[in-house]
Parts: sequence; C-alpha cells; structure tokens
Amino acid sequence: MAIAKQEGNFRTQEFILNMGPQHPSTHGVYRAILTLDGEYVVDLENVIGYLHRGIEKLAESRTYTQFIPYTDRMDYLAGMLNNWGYVMTVEKALGLEIPERAEYIRIIVGELQRIASHLVMVASMALDMNGYTAWMYAFYDREKILDLFEMICGSRLTTSFMRVGGVPNDIPEGFLPKLEEFLKEFPKRLDDFDNVITGNEIFIKRTKGIAPIDGETALDYGLTGPNLRASGVNFDLRKVRPYSIYDRFDFEVPVGTNGDNFDRYNMRMLEMRQSLRIIRQAVDNLPEGSIMAKVPKVLRIPAGETYGHIEGAKGILGFYLVSDGGTKPYRIHVHAPSFVNLGIYPYMAKGTMLQDAIASLASIDIVLGEVDR
Amino acid sequence: MFGEGLLKGLGVTIKHFFAPKITEQYPEVKPKLPPLVKSRFRLNREKCIACGICANACPNKVITVNSEKDENNKKRLTGYEMNLQYCLFCGLCVESCPTKAIEIDQDFELAAYTRENTKMDMYKEALTNPPGTAAKEDKGGKDA
Repeated sequence: MAIAKQEGNFRTQEFILNMGPQHPSTHGVYRAILTLDGEYVVDLENVIGYLHRGIEKLAESRTYTQFIPYTDRMDYLAGMLNNWGYVMTVEKALGLEIPERAEYIRIIVGELQRIASHLVMVASMALDMNGYTAWMYAFYDREKILDLFEMICGSRLTTSFMRVGGVPNDIPEGFLPKLEEFLKEFPKRLDDFDNVITGNEIFIKRTKGIAPIDGETALDYGLTGPNLRASGVNFDLRKVRPYSIYDRFDFEVPVGTNGDNFDRYNMRMLEMRQSLRIIRQAVDNLPEGSIMAKVPKVLRIPAGETYGHIEGAKGILGFYLVSDGGTKPYRIHVHAPSFVNLGIYPYMAKGTMLQDAIASLASIDIVLGEVDR
Repeated sequence: MFGEGLLKGLGVTIKHFFAPKITEQYPEVKPKLPPLVKSRFRLNREKCIACGICANACPNKVITVNSEKDENNKKRLTGYEMNLQYCLFCGLCVESCPTKAIEIDQDFELAAYTRENTKMDMYKEALTNPPGTAAKEDKGGKDA
C-alpha cells in the first residue's frame, strides 16, 4: 500500500510472453513471442517449425502415386483438397484428360471438404472467444461430412482419395441418399450457427472493427482465399481461372468490406452456403461413365517444370513440380496458403488486446501441418 | 434491442437440449463401419503369387514379402509381414495387387502395448483367420 502511493516511482514496463507451442488457442504447435504492454500487444513474432516433417523432401524419394497419401497430411483439415491440388498438377504435367464423372465426384468431395474445413474455422474461432456451444454444434456437422468421406474413400481425415487420372472408388451405395439428407439438414444448421454466433452481440462487439486489413495490405502480404476476399478483393480461382469444371457451376463469391475479424468469419459462413449450391448442382448433373482415365502403371513425367494451383479451403494451394524425366519427382514445392497467411498475423495483432489477438489468429484459419509441412 | 441476439442463441441451445442424444456408446456398442473403411488388411494365401508389387507400391516400405522358388521354378509365398507402425492406411497395396490377394477389413481395434506387437505376421494369420469369414467370427467371439 505504501509503495502504491508513491506516484512517479512507477512506470509501465513491457514484458515478453510466450504463447505456445503447446497452447490450445494456437491451433497446433505454433509459438508466438508476444511483447505486451499490460493487456495490449506491442509486438509479436511468429515461431514456426515444430511440426516440420520434411514432406517436400520425402516426395523426392517417392513415386508420383506414392506421394498422394502425404499430401493429405499437410492441411489435415482439408485432405481432399490437398489431394486434388497435387493430382491436378501431375495430370497437367502429363497432359491427362480425366473422365467427366471423376470430375463431378471430385467437385462433390472437394466442396464437402471445404465446408468441413470452414466448419472447423467457425468452431475454433467461437471457441477462442469462449463460445463452447458453437464448437460442439459445428463439429457435429463436420462429423456428418467425415462419415460421408468414410463411405466413399474409407478414411475420415487422411483421405488419400484422388489418383492421377481420376478417383479410385465410385460413389458407393447409400452415399447419395446420405448426402441428400445432409444437403437438406445443413442449411438449417447454418441458420442455427447464425443465431448462436453471427447474431450474438458479444461476438459482434468483439470482432467488428478488430484487426482490419485493407485490400492493398492484404495483397502486399500475399493473402489468398477467404482472408483476401474479406478485405474486399474479389479473387477466387474457381471464378477467375476456372480449373476442373468449375466454369459449369453457378455460384457467387462472397466479398467482405472491412477485412476485420467479423468479415473473415462471415466469409466462411457465406462460402459454406455457396459450396452447398455447388454440391447441389453437381449431384443433379452427375453423369454416368468411367472414373479413371487410362494411365500407365509407372508414371514418368517428361523433364521440365509444372505449376498447378487450386482454390483450397484456406487460400490458393499450389504445387510446383520439377521433373527430370524419371519416375520420382526431382523437387516438389508446395505453396501453402496457411504459411503465407500467417505472415500477416504480427501486423494484425499489433495494438490489439491479447484476447483479440487470439481471435485474430483464429480468424486467419491456419493449420500448422501446412505451415511447417 | 441489445440482447436479442443472445436470447435467440439461447433459444437454439434450448432446442438442442431437448433434442435426442447423439453420443456414440463406443466400447459397449461397436460401430458398423462402411465396407470401404481401411482399418486393417488381410491376406489370402491361396491367391497371393508373391510378386511383391504391393511391397513396391507402398510409400513407406511397410510390407515384407518372403518367397522361395519351388522345383518348377515358380515363386511360393513363405512369409508376409506388415509393419503397421509405419502404415499410412492409404490402401495403395490393395489397389496394386494383381490377384486381389490382399483385402481391407473393418476391424479397427489394433492398439498394441509395445512397438514389437504392431508388426503383423499376415502369413500366419491368414491360416487362422482367412479374409471374409474372420471379421464376423472375431466379433461374435468378443461379444460372447
């Protein structure tokens, strides 16, 4: 008490706080070195690499087909999309045309995976802001999608579903009725989420206007995916440079205005509805036919380099493939959206409260498996 | 009005509170997994021609195939082992098998106490539990 009265002897001091690497709010083994002034973040430094498994190096000792199971261990919340990005790049290098039915199946599972990934984002963002209910609800629906994956490819997370030239399994019996049921139920669940999270005053107060990124800055930092679109830049590979058969589908690309945490959250909510529209159209137009193109047993890619990219759940997922003409890739580099998106986090966190900084981390939706690879 | 959103959210939670429970009672009630689930692999000794394509298709060198040549200079299977601790359960071995000798199975309870126990001698096991019949017999035995 006596000391507290001595005004003038006190000065505030910045202090360093380690967040992570084993902290539930860091979405994996990620560490942030925070410099705090009381509750406010003055500086933040990303420390990554805890989950590094050298997947790009592993690729050099695997054949093109053998690398497929490794791709879904990068962004383990969106395995299907990783598989797709990789096999599409190899198909591009080989100049393969894949059958219509396979393309439609890829679209269905790919968009389901996008919904599943966005559900995790919505759930974990709510959880990081102490909304446990939303977390449970969103994971319940994600479980439904994983059950569908279990039926079609035999795994839930690490799908390894796509093959160079098509897909390994055709749609099994009972899959489409279950998908119909999901398509019918899920919009109602989304309305529930809107009522529980989006309309919640506390959530709105804590996210609106927090950590805004304008379009210019977002582009400077190389953001892609929903994070970029939240800042008002309308760039979606599915529309801008349609790959696969996305040019046949009618859907909108939601674009935000402020680029704050709320917009980034809302992008995911709106995108899930658009993904449902795409799945609906794909199921309605599903053609009959084969699911695998004629592919040689041993894949040899002509010497040279290929770059292929898709709109992943977290942003643009690119695979850069260098071949020396052999059966194994000479080098594979992955343009991982989470890695690029994490770069803007120090910029976002500066000047915000510690609790808001955690919400900001959730809002850019990173997966450490993909950041470190 | 401030608080309207909160009340709406509460309405949703109350609705869910009275909804039927969805918890899976796992150890008591075993889930019935779809037929494509790759929980473990089983070998059919009669079909296997010991060509070793599965071992080459495996990304992680999980499979060891042992064989010897008989008097007609034909390969004969003498051992088949899967080192499951490195298995990715991708199913590339099943896809590559030319005679469909290796099959997937939905018996997912594979936990082992030691690293050694994760090795699966499928050659021996194929004698006692041939694919197809094994899964049903197993489950019947455990329930009883």
